[in-house]
Amino acid sequence: MSTPGSVRSGDAARYTPTSGTVGAGGAPATPPISRKRTRIFRWEGIIPLFVGLAFLVCAWLVFGDRVLRGTIAEAGTKALGTQLDIAGLALHPLSSSIELRGIAVADPFDRTRNLFEVRGLRVQLEAEPLLQKKLVVKSIAITDVTTGTKRATPATAVTGPGFAPAMLTAMQRFAQQFNVPLLSLTPLDTLKSLVLDPTSLKSVQTALAVAHQVDSTKQALETGYAALRLQQTIDSSRAVVARLQGTNVRTLGIDGARRAIADVRAASARVDSARRRVDALLTTARTGVDALQAGVGAIDAARRDDYAFARGLLKLPSFEGPDLGSAIFGHVTIEKFQQAVYWTELARQYAPPGLLPRESPGPKRLRRAGTTIHFAAARAYPRFWLQRADVNVAVTSGALAGTYAIAARDVTTDPAIVQRPTLFAMRRVATGTSVDSLRVLGSLDHTTPRIRETITANAAGVALPTIAIPGLPYRMDGGRGTSELRLALDGEQISGRWSLRSAHVTWKADSVKRALNTMESLVARVLTGVNQLDFTADITGTLANPRLAVHSNLDRQLSDRLRAVAGEEVAKAEARVRAQVDKIVDEKSAPVKVRVAELRADAEKRVADARTRLDEEKRKLDDRLKALTSGAITLPKLPGA
Amino acid sequence: MLTLLKLLRSLIKTLHSDGSPGQIAAGVALGAALGLTPIMNAHNLIVFMLLTVLNVSFAAGMFAWAVFVPVGFLLDPVFDRVGHALLVATPALRPLWTTWDNVPGLALTNFNNTVVLGSVVVWLLLFVPLYVATAYGVVRYRATLGERVRQSRFYKALHASQLYNVYAWFRP
Repeated sequence: MSTPGSVRSGDAARYTPTSGTVGAGGAPATPPISRKRTRIFRWEGIIPLFVGLAFLVCAWLVFGDRVLRGTIAEAGTKALGTQLDIAGLALHPLSSSIELRGIAVADPFDRTRNLFEVRGLRVQLEAEPLLQKKLVVKSIAITDVTTGTKRATPATAVTGPGFAPAMLTAMQRFAQQFNVPLLSLTPLDTLKSLVLDPTSLKSVQTALAVAHQVDSTKQALETGYAALRLQQTIDSSRAVVARLQGTNVRTLGIDGARRAIADVRAASARVDSARRRVDALLTTARTGVDALQAGVGAIDAARRDDYAFARGLLKLPSFEGPDLGSAIFGHVTIEKFQQAVYWTELARQYAPPGLLPRESPGPKRLRRAGTTIHFAAARAYPRFWLQRADVNVAVTSGALAGTYAIAARDVTTDPAIVQRPTLFAMRRVATGTSVDSLRVLGSLDHTTPRIRETITANAAGVALPTIAIPGLPYRMDGGRGTSELRLALDGEQISGRWSLRSAHVTWKADSVKRALNTMESLVARVLTGVNQLDFTADITGTLANPRLAVHSNLDRQLSDRLRAVAGEEVAKAEARVRAQVDKIVDEKSAPVKVRVAELRADAEKRVADARTRLDEEKRKLDDRLKALTSGAITLPKLPGA
Repeated sequence: MLTLLKLLRSLIKTLHSDGSPGQIAAGVALGAALGLTPIMNAHNLIVFMLLTVLNVSFAAGMFAWAVFVPVGFLLDPVFDRVGHALLVATPALRPLWTTWDNVPGLALTNFNNTVVLGSVVVWLLLFVPLYVATAYGVVRYRATLGERVRQSRFYKALHASQLYNVYAWFRP
């Protein structure tokens, strides 16, 4: 066997260091090297190469599944933003299929639970796209699914710069955008007068800001008025008029008269210029004063917020139905929409429209991962494409136990290549203990730049969620009823509705009991007397500015009852609060309003005076010119003068 | 320390082997790819095969691998930039990468990764300079220091060691 860089056995080595022994005449003692051409290939090297390759194949056979399982779990966790566990994996290269066992996807919103667990998943792939590192799924088979299972150990939070963790944070921000009112049930006998700190009131803050603006505007007007150089202009004009007093063409001569006319015209131009400056100052003054007037208006607008703020300090219960509905169901509703929006946004990220190159973080390795760029071509396989899947899934345990028929078509990362929207549907095909019927339909249309997603889920005879009533030691068990969720995203526009209906509502007291005040007792009595639920939550607006409206029979009944019992007391407390706010705000805002009015009057008056004086000077100059030229020449008039 | 000693021994053995300067230089230039570029990639399999079947110094290749691994780590930010410039910032090359990424087999090269492409391109650019510099260095070494090292105790000890015997077993 030979090693690289060596010479063949039997040949003389070419590198022979000088040993000091030289032949006669300085010639080397060693025999002359035959100039044999060095061969390029070392065919013997193929043997160790094959041995090495065989070793690699053996290593792959032993450890390949484990490596692949780790890679898939890691990539899946990064992509979904929640922990993905895979208990086992078997690769079948000859049939280009892969078999996964014991898959568990943790709930990104509750790390102690699994969203679902799958006992077995077999995926049959197209062979050719694999050579392009693309996954085209021919068929898929799923066995034994369980949902909502408790995890033995809580899932690890997915952090880092990946999309999914960022998306999760964005969804938490999405949820925080909603202003869910508190269900405040302060006892009526504690509604006392309130000591308000004036500086905490928005209208007072606004009034102080406007007062500061008045000073600035006044200063700016003074500067502008000084910049008019009004007196200099008038003095100059008067000097010209005085100089030409009693003169005429005869006394001045032709040249003198021409110079006099030129002087009058120059003085008139200065007056006109000053007049224009006055007009400009008037415009500036009006703009400034209008802004101050708007500030005064903002004081009154802020007062409404201050009423609400002061009312909030008193913790007065709101009797408005929407407020009560939002207070009771707000959080559970937002959670529901938040989850739907999360998965939709995730789909947007992984299946964006268009064929532009997409960047993603490179594979994890000791070296820098770099960025991997995916170049999509119109006539190529998408990076991932589940052409069609029709599977029957048996959910063996959990609240949704039963058999489901799931169909999906054109689930892909490159909708611009597939040119068809992703469609999916799920239907319950066997009745179970907790759901009579369930139907989910959805489409994700990312084939054009205007992306649209719609999801509709209908469940009948389903165990409705148990909702804890905020501020009260009671939980509402919705019993079995119907639930419907519709969500449509059109670009940034969001519109959705979630409704629950049940005729079997029951109320359960918390295990930790506490004494209820009069208001709480009243609300508890009203609520626990209701055994039907008709609830609807609507979400509208944009993803960046969503609006939530909640209506239910509970809040209507609660509102009526609260109004009847405590409306008068609360109205009195509210009136006291308003009066207190008005007193403080009026004290602070009245002088500001007076100053703004004064500033407006002063500015108007000074401008009018300046105009009058300039017009008078213009008239005198005109008279002098007429006298000088016997009325042959007059000065042009400024528009509006 | 042991690694350093091994490297030193490998270097001396390579320099004193019967390989020509050109064979050693080619081995170093090829082996540099294994160190400069992320190892688990298809092009490195080809480089390894070339090191094995071409009549170049395999030991020099292994030595270069070891030497260039830390260099690769250090130059990763440069590779990332080079790769980004080629893949993203040069629209004229986009059709090439699009074709490359969608041709069966070629897509497995991972050349759509900035670090992989950048390091391969830098290695290719360095190939000839590395070859020339190494060949020149070997010639100079053999003409100046070679015999002195050969006469040193360290070399003799190395030559006499059992490991050397194992090495010699694979020698031509």
